[in-house]
Amino acid sequence: MHYKWWGLIFVLPAVGFFAAFNLFPMLFGLYLSFTDYDLLNPPIWVGLDNFVNLWDDRLFRQALGNTLVFVAGATVPVWGLSLLAALVFDQAFRARDWLKAAFFLPVLPPIAVVAVLWRVLLHPNGVITSLTGGWWGVTEIRWLADTALAPFSMIAVHDWAMIPFFMMIWLAGLAAIPPEFREAAAIDGAGPVRTFWHVDLPQLRSTAVLVAALSSIGAFQTFALQYVLPNDAGGPANSTMVLALLVLKYGFQYFRMGDAAAISVVMFAMIMLVTLGQLWFNRRA
Amino acid sequence: MHILKRIAAATGIALWTGLASAQPVTVKMWMHEHPPRIAIDKAIIAEFEKANPDIKIQYDVISVADYSTKLLTAFAAGSGPDVFNNTSTLVTQYFNARIIAPIDYAAMGLSDEAALLAKYQGSGFDGIRFQGKLYGVPTELSNWACFANNAIWQEAGLDPKKDWPKTWEALPAVAEKLTRRDANGVPVRRGFDFNWAIPGAFWYVPNTMLHQLGANMIDEAAYKATLDTPAGRQVFQYFQDWTGKLRLGGPQYTDSRTDFLAGKLAAECSFGVWGVPQMEAAKLSWSVLPVPKFAAGVSDNGMDEYAFYMMVNARSPSPAQKAAWKFARFYTDHAGELFAGAGLFVPRAEVTGSAAFKANPAAPFFVNELKRAKFSPRVVGYTQVLDAILRGRDKVVQGEKVEAVVPVMNEEVNTIMNRERTRAATLVK
Repeated sequence: MHYKWWGLIFVLPAVGFFAAFNLFPMLFGLYLSFTDYDLLNPPIWVGLDNFVNLWDDRLFRQALGNTLVFVAGATVPVWGLSLLAALVFDQAFRARDWLKAAFFLPVLPPIAVVAVLWRVLLHPNGVITSLTGGWWGVTEIRWLADTALAPFSMIAVHDWAMIPFFMMIWLAGLAAIPPEFREAAAIDGAGPVRTFWHVDLPQLRSTAVLVAALSSIGAFQTFALQYVLPNDAGGPANSTMVLALLVLKYGFQYFRMGDAAAISVVMFAMIMLVTLGQLWFNRRA
Repeated sequence: MHILKRIAAATGIALWTGLASAQPVTVKMWMHEHPPRIAIDKAIIAEFEKANPDIKIQYDVISVADYSTKLLTAFAAGSGPDVFNNTSTLVTQYFNARIIAPIDYAAMGLSDEAALLAKYQGSGFDGIRFQGKLYGVPTELSNWACFANNAIWQEAGLDPKKDWPKTWEALPAVAEKLTRRDANGVPVRRGFDFNWAIPGAFWYVPNTMLHQLGANMIDEAAYKATLDTPAGRQVFQYFQDWTGKLRLGGPQYTDSRTDFLAGKLAAECSFGVWGVPQMEAAKLSWSVLPVPKFAAGVSDNGMDEYAFYMMVNARSPSPAQKAAWKFARFYTDHAGELFAGAGLFVPRAEVTGSAAFKANPAAPFFVNELKRAKFSPRVVGYTQVLDAILRGRDKVVQGEKVEAVVPVMNEEVNTIMNRERTRAATLVK
């Protein structure tokens, strides 16, 4: 047997696994998005109806809006604050490593555990209310039960858990910058701000694309927080209903698998567009 | 030669038929998790298998949270159980998808429907009758009533037996006397609250109130939402006042059952007769009380009733279906043990005449309440309709005007019901 066939045979198990557990579900999901399927009867082909109907679907529009708000809150502030934290921990100071480890702790538990913890902390008469409400004499704040506050509580908890993760990526990027660059800038009389702006930041461009892509993808796919943190998943009044949660609801609670698959395809397209945009921006810059 | 062939064929068929009849039928049984019931289920199954050596029951218990989803995904994959139970709110979905089979009275060893109804003193079947046929047998018939924590009432100088309000209009004043507030008026101990945490509570409670007012959330016969009526607006205004103007409770607090059992809530209305052992375990001194009515109410009904039914998979092979109905009869004939050991009430003589029934001080009260109870409407797409109602409830609680919210909710429910009915007709072949 020719040697190239041996190569194909060796990769076949991995390719087979990928085809069975990644490619096939994706293609089957795409097929389902063109059908009406209630799980109990065979799917019926409906063409583009599911996609057309989405634009008239009040719940989808609300979930889309909520997702975009969440993505905005879970990306831009995270980029800035995680970079700031990385710049702080990039300096040499006493007990830095201990503090860095402590700062990283929120990343370790699964997000569902984080949500359960914050559900207790954000009780209307709980610890966070005592800490913040005391300033203006309020003893009850409905962090999770008020339609205006609940979406921002989700963002705050998400950012608390994710900033340390992205800080580590920035730190890796900072560590990769050759020290000579900063030394040269210092010799030329650049202060810390100018050095950061003209030396560090351009060197961190590929790290920034990675941070932006990972955080955007994660934010678009957010699910566990909105499922666990509010009193009822996606509530109150759907103010925290996001697209991934709507997929679950439509598919497995409403038995509208075709609509759920169509939303998944829309999510996929959105994530793809944002990621391609970020890559294009990186190349152009 | 032809004769020989025929003899050989006949012998072959006879052998195969003989083998087939000797093969035991395996009945796959799924039940939702109710821990006190599991040991009883196993004992009933063992007894049934001993009496019917040709039938094997393959028993699976599934957590309540996953149960309905697992059932549907199993049916989708063609691996659904032959016999299973579930609640009356979901059976319309099963009926429309043609998952459930009509009762096979012969397989149950009964002459006809009348013989079955006679065992249940005639009640409990309204939730499982479709187009004149019955599709399941009740394993539990239940409704909620109100319970008071006597200690908290006494501390407030009240007696639940005397001071429990007869009307919803009188409830806030009594609840206020039982409520303890901080300096900002925030309740630190509620006097009474609704169960905001259980979604289904907002199927039963508003419907109960509407039934009392001679109305309904949904007109099942006309298949239309009837929320946008003066009665509908009155009910949702009540919830808005309760949480907003009166600040007596709301969805932001710990769920009412948990707080009641922890001795932190003076009264609530979402326990059935099965709640009594939990209160006894929590060492509460309790009183069971009737559900209040609206002053202008025209119907003297308590909380809407619901049931769990044992049903048979219409897609199972015929021998498995027959064996499943035979088992369903055997299982439900153990109603006395299921009530004594697991608190599952059905109106059968062996339950109402049992020592366990007589020993439960709340049991006669609930039987009386059930006689006046009505089933909530049954719709295709129950979960979606309930979600639309919960969205409306949440908006009302957030302070949006009831006059603006209720018409939108009504329209949304109508859209869902029409779409789901059309889908059911299209998808089922």
